[in-house]
Amino acid sequence: MASHTTVLSPEAPAMQRGQQQRLQLDTLEGKVVGFIDNAKPNFNYLVEDLAELLKSQHGVKDVIIRRKRAASVPAPVSYIDELAGCCDVVITGSGD
Amino acid sequence: MAVEVCSSAFVQLARAQASALGYTALPIAVVPHPFGTVSREAVRLMAQDCVAQIAGHACAAPAGVQADERACEAEETAAPCAQIEIPEAPDVYTAFNKLARAKRWSDGLPAVPPTPDRVEAMLAYTKRSRNEVVAKLAPAFGAATVESIAVNAVLAGCDPELMSVLVASVEAVAGTDFNLQSIQSTTNPAAVWVIVNGPIAERLGINAAGNCLGEGVHANAAIGRALRLLLRNVGGALPGDMDRATHGQPGKYTFCCAENEAENPWEPLHVERGFAASDSAVTVVGAEGTMNMCTLGKNANDLIRVIADTMRHAPSNEYVHGSEPWFVLCPEHAEIIHEAGISKAELKHRLWEESKMRAGVMAQEDFERLQASRTAELGLIGPDTLITISKKPEDIAIIVAGGKGGHSVYIPCFGNTRSVTRRIAEA
Repeated sequence: MASHTTVLSPEAPAMQRGQQQRLQLDTLEGKVVGFIDNAKPNFNYLVEDLAELLKSQHGVKDVIIRRKRAASVPAPVSYIDELAGCCDVVITGSGD
Repeated sequence: MAVEVCSSAFVQLARAQASALGYTALPIAVVPHPFGTVSREAVRLMAQDCVAQIAGHACAAPAGVQADERACEAEETAAPCAQIEIPEAPDVYTAFNKLARAKRWSDGLPAVPPTPDRVEAMLAYTKRSRNEVVAKLAPAFGAATVESIAVNAVLAGCDPELMSVLVASVEAVAGTDFNLQSIQSTTNPAAVWVIVNGPIAERLGINAAGNCLGEGVHANAAIGRALRLLLRNVGGALPGDMDRATHGQPGKYTFCCAENEAENPWEPLHVERGFAASDSAVTVVGAEGTMNMCTLGKNANDLIRVIADTMRHAPSNEYVHGSEPWFVLCPEHAEIIHEAGISKAELKHRLWEESKMRAGVMAQEDFERLQASRTAELGLIGPDTLITISKKPEDIAIIVAGGKGGHSVYIPCFGNTRSVTRRIAEA
């Protein structure tokens, strides 16, 4: 019978995690879209352009923009609560 | 619903983190990389494609996806570490290291096989139960159980006596103020520097004197290495995946020292932070690197002036965010300043005042980051505004360590991070 050596894996032990599932919209027409600007260079310009295009091309009713003070900090809870409460879609910037 | 926007270089990070947080279906709209440095007109063109992606993601869910964005109710529990069998081989050590390299378990250097008996020996040096979750480590939010800390400690070659320092270090890096999420996934070279205070430092032989930030002492080398392996293997910060460092730095292999309390003319760091001198404590710092300050100055005012000059540099995350710069003063410099009747608090205040920098020296985009980050704190910021390196003088951190010689070290921090100190509970 072949012998073997047992080792323990240094990776994170398995955890049971909740799985979040994705919501589907029928249309953007008449919807409210929120943005969390991650404060990375140029993202404010992209948000400006996307806001205009979402309204002119997709009939979005209103756009709410909130900007983090820096990319390397989490969005304030007040932003998250506010946007979760009034938006149909929230768009966030991540990384560069 | 949520849609994420990121550049093509960051898609892997976004996917990995969404998956780690249980949101594998997170829709991502991608813009080309580089994004932050392109012209205003180029952004306008990218927006055309990006808005189409957003509309597509918002209105077309993949097959089988339910209209429910709430997380399923599930209690998070951690299992024991997985056991792996290495088939019989002439040289088990080599076979294990081949496996470790394939699975990216190590830092590139050879690792010690975490056999059950070695892990048990490590666990004997903590009173905490084997499957207790000490912390969940960002960005993957993997569970750092007592057992997984022990496994990584063996992997790094630690003597079992070091276990209690590692458990406290894991607790510290998971502290909210430390901002591990950003430190682990940033393009910045940030490494985690571990400082040990109190009687345990001498008992474990952690070097606080000559070459304390260099090589040669087991405890310094092994503690820093084990924490790095935990940040990779449990925290998920694998270079090129969730660790997006542009260069990284040698301190990501290991970065640990003790404070030279015997030659410190002031109170040691842990006492400054409310612990008793007889307590042992660990402090973790999100450190950008080390900058040596070689000066044979004998005048305290001269020393303070040249240290303040070293702090001032335009491409500095510390000035942008108002941070926590660190100094490792050598015993000789510390003694000169102390002999001049200057307390540690006064030294911090002097450095804070004398290191103020004119905002206009920054690159335009960094000046704008400064405005975004600190206008609420400082009011209107113009090119002639004098910017402090930290929000208040007390945020400047000073320890005394090192051997003979006129060299002190400036250790800039990552920016949006604060060091965290935790008591070391010995078995």
